[in-house]
Amino acid sequence: MSYAYLFKYIIIGDTGVGKSCLLLQFTDKRFQPVHDLTIGVEFGARMITIDNKPIKLQIWDTAGQESFRSITRSYYRGAAGALLVYDITRRETFNHLASWLEDARQHANANMTIMLIGNKCDLAHRRAVSTEEGEQFAKEHGLIFMEASAKTAQNVEEAFINTAGTIYKKIQDGVFDVSNESYGIKVGYGGIPGPSGGRDGSSSQAGGCCS
Amino acid sequence: MFETEIHDLSDDADYAAASQQGPSSKAGHGISNQSYSSEPENAEIVYLKDNVTIHPTQYATERISGRLKLVKQDSLLFMSWIPYKGQSSNARLSERDKNLYTIRAVPFADIRSIRRHTPTIGWQYVIVVLSSGLAYPPLYFYNGGVREFITTVKQHIVIVRSSEDANVFLVNNFQDPLQRTLSSLELPRTISIAKSASSSSFTNSPSDGNLERLDGGPRQKGSDAARDISIQVLEKFSLVTRFARETTSQLFRESLVDDYRANENKKSNRSSQDKPREIVSNDVRVTRSEVPVPSDPLEFDKLSLVWGKPRQPPLGPEEWATFLDSEGRIEDFTALKKRIFYGGVEHNLRKEIWAFLLGYYAHDSTYAERQHVMAVMKSEYETIKNQWQSISPEQAKRFTKFRERKGLIERDVVRTDRSLPFYEGDENPNVHLLRNILLTYSFYNFDLGYCQGMSDLLSPILFIMEDEPESFWCFVSLMERLGPNFNRDQNGMHSQLFALSKLVELLDSPLHNYFKQKDCLNYFFCFRWILIQFKREFEYDKTLRLWEVLWTHHPSEHLHLYVCIAILKRQRAKIMQEQMSFDTLLKFINELSGCIDLDAVLRDAEALCVCAGENGAASIPPGTPPSLPVEDECIYQQDDEAL
Ligand SMILES: Nc1nc2c(ncn2[C@@H]2O[C@H](COP(=O)(O)OP(=O)(O)OP(=O)(O)O)[C@@H](O)[C@H]2O)c(=O)[nH]1
Ligand SMILES: [Mg+2]
Repeated sequence: MSYAYLFKYIIIGDTGVGKSCLLLQFTDKRFQPVHDLTIGVEFGARMITIDNKPIKLQIWDTAGQESFRSITRSYYRGAAGALLVYDITRRETFNHLASWLEDARQHANANMTIMLIGNKCDLAHRRAVSTEEGEQFAKEHGLIFMEASAKTAQNVEEAFINTAGTIYKKIQDGVFDVSNESYGIKVGYGGIPGPSGGRDGSSSQAGGCCS
Repeated sequence: MFETEIHDLSDDADYAAASQQGPSSKAGHGISNQSYSSEPENAEIVYLKDNVTIHPTQYATERISGRLKLVKQDSLLFMSWIPYKGQSSNARLSERDKNLYTIRAVPFADIRSIRRHTPTIGWQYVIVVLSSGLAYPPLYFYNGGVREFITTVKQHIVIVRSSEDANVFLVNNFQDPLQRTLSSLELPRTISIAKSASSSSFTNSPSDGNLERLDGGPRQKGSDAARDISIQVLEKFSLVTRFARETTSQLFRESLVDDYRANENKKSNRSSQDKPREIVSNDVRVTRSEVPVPSDPLEFDKLSLVWGKPRQPPLGPEEWATFLDSEGRIEDFTALKKRIFYGGVEHNLRKEIWAFLLGYYAHDSTYAERQHVMAVMKSEYETIKNQWQSISPEQAKRFTKFRERKGLIERDVVRTDRSLPFYEGDENPNVHLLRNILLTYSFYNFDLGYCQGMSDLLSPILFIMEDEPESFWCFVSLMERLGPNFNRDQNGMHSQLFALSKLVELLDSPLHNYFKQKDCLNYFFCFRWILIQFKREFEYDKTLRLWEVLWTHHPSEHLHLYVCIAILKRQRAKIMQEQMSFDTLLKFINELSGCIDLDAVLRDAEALCVCAGENGAASIPPGTPPSLPVEDECIYQQDDEAL
């Protein structure tokens, strides 16, 4: 399928916060609590529409465990958007946000749009981090913020799409040189041709294997 | 350049010298009359040479000497090489080895070529290549006599000297000289390539055009390049005789042709991923891409000319019984491992055999000893398990590290292979066993603790052993070797990725250069493959097969690295044509999961490993997992933050 733009996203945050579940909810619209833990990275993709333009999101779902960090850092390169996820029922995943941000600032490009997500908001009875704390942290660090649930799908669409909206606006505002792929944006056939012209828009489909 | 001149060998000094001598059955020494009488009726020994020796390993100290004979019977010429009885340079070479190497009366009709090496310094040897494409190990003529050998052959059958290489003699029995030339160039492997490529305007060089016309049949002939390469490759391979031994033994065990066909059929059904590669590697003209792909220095497809043994059916109970003595000791563990390498183990035997492969049971232990070990280890397991089970909730409150570790393990076991019936469903007891074993392990090896990926390694072990203490100890054995994969500083992983890059540099420098140019030399795209031994790349039962093969450590402890290269090589054309960058490559490699032909990749890996030989081994730093650690002291760095 052709797209106007392709945005590369990464999903980061501690292990078990629900990164893979959020991705699956967004790409497949289902909650699969027993899928395998992530080793290295997994990929997903979905088309969305912003301003009547088809935009393809290519999403990198990274492994959260601390000891994989030296590897996962290499995935930040060229991401246009990041979902930084914590688990509202586990305080420590919130406490680690600063170190994730530091990684992102060091290894991603400076204009990367970051969305902070407090996941598992369906588990309100086990909440360990208040909404206000999340908001506060986001404000301090200039992030967009939302609480979401991969289980109920609450705010999942919004999280991914709002991020894309912000990136799209940055393009409109000329923040990016879209011909430079290090910003994590590719211009497709249906897009505004950059200096390097259109790009292949048929190369990959959502999470598909080679079957 | 394709046509092979029929040399008049009489102008060849070797030939002239030898023909004066006549058939040289007297050349050898120590001929006994018994050896004559062992020949069939009306067979005539036309050449006999003693002390013709093969070197089964790279080490010259390990050798098997024997007698080489040319025998003529009913106007057909046969070659045989029989090792001497009961005399071996090295105890490691068993009678079994000798049997593997023995060449029993192979007719010259089955021989494609003979290559001679007559260096001024060192032993002379010949390499005999069969029309199936397999090569015998080099036969070293300790007492000289290569010249007479060639001459004798020449006296009895027609051989032609290759126009490209004066040391290669092409052999065949056809009467028609033209056909003779053709048949000597017929390569089984290239035919199949031609077939797969014929639909896409496969064209041969002009001289091949002739061939097709003459041949008339549906089969096409390969190109000259293929032939040249194959000769080089054959040579490379037969230099490492350890490998050739397998192929030799194979010849006598089963019908090669059938296996070969079966394999070809399988290949043609392979996933579409592989197809472009076959076309590309054969003929650049049929590639659809504008990007020229540097050719593979080992020309993979042609390499398979001299492939190792075709994969065998898994080891079954009757055969397994033959490996055990009456008290239950494994008599020849090396032979067993080799057998398992080539075919794996039937599922029902896995529980028993994995314990040996992993080193939980000593291979020379008896049934009784193992019973004892099992009882002791069971109680030892309970002791360690009790260490964490006895931590009270009050104590746990003040034991953050324990809580964190336990939490992490509990979050992970519910995310490990839950789609398998063995682990599926709520409150599955096997999931609980995973947790217990991992938690116990994290106390057994407190320094290493728990790290993600371990549950992936444990899952198949528990699935097979179906017993908590036994699974634990087998897991412990596996972690002796793979533990460094999970070090917090990832040093085990980094040393493997480093070794991998060195090996690719050795075995496929264009691909290496490509990765270099694309800034991909960290090989992070192989991270998951190595960390959990390809577990996520194959279906579960294939993983079981692959693991037992890897655990044989044949032909190398590091075969898994060659498996990586084998997979990469099968995709190299696609990777380079599509100019994959770090990102696209990573995604591409991830998506190969479920699309890799295990048997094909294992055979490739074996060949690559043998091809790399000592240079390959030298590319892998000492202590690289799964080698046992270099020193035994503190293997796992202590790190306060480690879980
Ligand atoms: N109740 C609830 N549970 C969730 C939600 N999202 C995830 N989970 C649970 O949390 C567990 C971990 O989710 P994953 O998506 O695997 O976590 P991850 O962030 O991808 O973890 P790593 O791959 O280890 O980095 C899952 O097994 C789910 O059961 C949610 O929104 N609500
Ligand atoms: Mg995940």
